[in-house]
Amino acid sequence: MATAPESAAVGVSVWEVEPGERRKPGIVHVVMMALFIGIGIVVGTLGSLAIPIGFVSLFWPGQAVQALGGIWFGAWGVIAGMFFPFISNALSGSAPIPVSAAYLPANFLQGFLAAAGFRWLKADPRLRTWRDWAVWVVIGVLLANFLGAFWGTYVLTWFGLITEAARPTALFGWFIGNSVPSLIFGSILLKYVSPMILRSKTFVKGWLA
Amino acid sequence: MPKAEIAKKTLLGVVPVDSPFYRFHPATRLMLLVFLSVTPLFVDLPEINLALIAVALFLLRWGKVQLGQIKRYLPLLFTVALFMFTVAYLAPGDRAMLTPFKLLGLTFYLEPIWWAFVSYCRLIAMLFGAILYFSTNRERDLLVALRTIRLPFAASYVLALSLRSAGMFMEDFATIREAQQARGLDLESMSIADKVKLYTMYAVPLFAVALRRADEISNALFARGYTLSARPATGGKRSDYLRKQYRLLARDWVAIAAMGLVFGAVVALRIGWGAFTDDASLLKALFRWGVGV
Repeated sequence: MATAPESAAVGVSVWEVEPGERRKPGIVHVVMMALFIGIGIVVGTLGSLAIPIGFVSLFWPGQAVQALGGIWFGAWGVIAGMFFPFISNALSGSAPIPVSAAYLPANFLQGFLAAAGFRWLKADPRLRTWRDWAVWVVIGVLLANFLGAFWGTYVLTWFGLITEAARPTALFGWFIGNSVPSLIFGSILLKYVSPMILRSKTFVKGWLA
Repeated sequence: MPKAEIAKKTLLGVVPVDSPFYRFHPATRLMLLVFLSVTPLFVDLPEINLALIAVALFLLRWGKVQLGQIKRYLPLLFTVALFMFTVAYLAPGDRAMLTPFKLLGLTFYLEPIWWAFVSYCRLIAMLFGAILYFSTNRERDLLVALRTIRLPFAASYVLALSLRSAGMFMEDFATIREAQQARGLDLESMSIADKVKLYTMYAVPLFAVALRRADEISNALFARGYTLSARPATGGKRSDYLRKQYRLLARDWVAIAAMGLVFGAVVALRIGWGAFTDDASLLKALFRWGVGV
């Protein structure tokens, strides 16, 4: 596997473009986006089928995939995170296409917030310091899932799938149901897979390359 | 005599080897998915949504889909119903504005319970559209359909690759699980917490495989002259082999026109004349009579 130089030295941010380093979007990013949608479909479908409760999942590790996609692959990962739920929801039977379309802004936020948080606050995806952990947990998991659940439960109300009075409870259930697997699943992947991604050509330091 | 093959596994599921659906162009089948998924949005009347579910079931049978295949959706259909009616019972809204009725010693409220039923019928009607599509179409059919409706090459290529990679990752997932079982992993005796941890650990090799594949595929594409703009590196127009293999026939145009007309009529009647609301529902009258309100 071809590798790119890794900014592994302590104190040097992985997001810094090093002297002489040229970065531009390439086919490898588009291919990785497609493969990442594939991974999202598998993780999202199997997660939804594992504990089938339909449109409010008690266990949906797909959010971790969305956040990780944004962190590792920038805009390519955010786009992948927006679109894989269309297919995984249809395959698992957890939401029809119009409902998945309405979830789109939430899916965008769930991928974008982690991506932006790590880039703007220069956190390391390998979770090496307490600050990296704080950015991941607060922005990538809690804030992203809260906003996702906030929008998602509005969607459920619009489609008449829950009553307005049940929205706060559904929001809480959705938030916990997505946050716990995201925290476990996402943290393990960030710790163990990030070093591999950082060495690869597919890692995106900016938004596109 | 060997048993005739009646179904084949695709990367995403199982489709019949032979089906009347295959006489239609993949774009027509994609239109059917859109029609069955979007039409219920404009219909509150549960009788019509129940009829759409019946149509989808009929089409599954007509399309020679093994109905046993859709059994995997039954737990989901049941839990969704349970969830929706429980929510309507526990959080009905402003009780002073609602019509109470007693059933099995419990107090329910007519409006939220009825609306849960209306929404459930709509949701399941939309879901059956997707179930029908994925039970009668391969990834290749979706790609042909998207090329036929002139989706840009780059977008359709990404979609095709993602669907194919989803299938490949599902196979990788099965391989990893079999390898673990061959080393003595007993899934039956594991607690749910352990299963969740194990599920997480499956993802690590999947990502490693994805990275390697991304490199191999992008090198292969580069070697074949593919560019980000999807134009051939040598200039000129890219030939579209897939699209040329399929032709829209008269029956396709008839089917698409029929679906378009019905959909247009439903939207016009709903928006222009307020049709298909649940006020006209016979089931609602029956329900009210049944609970005595």
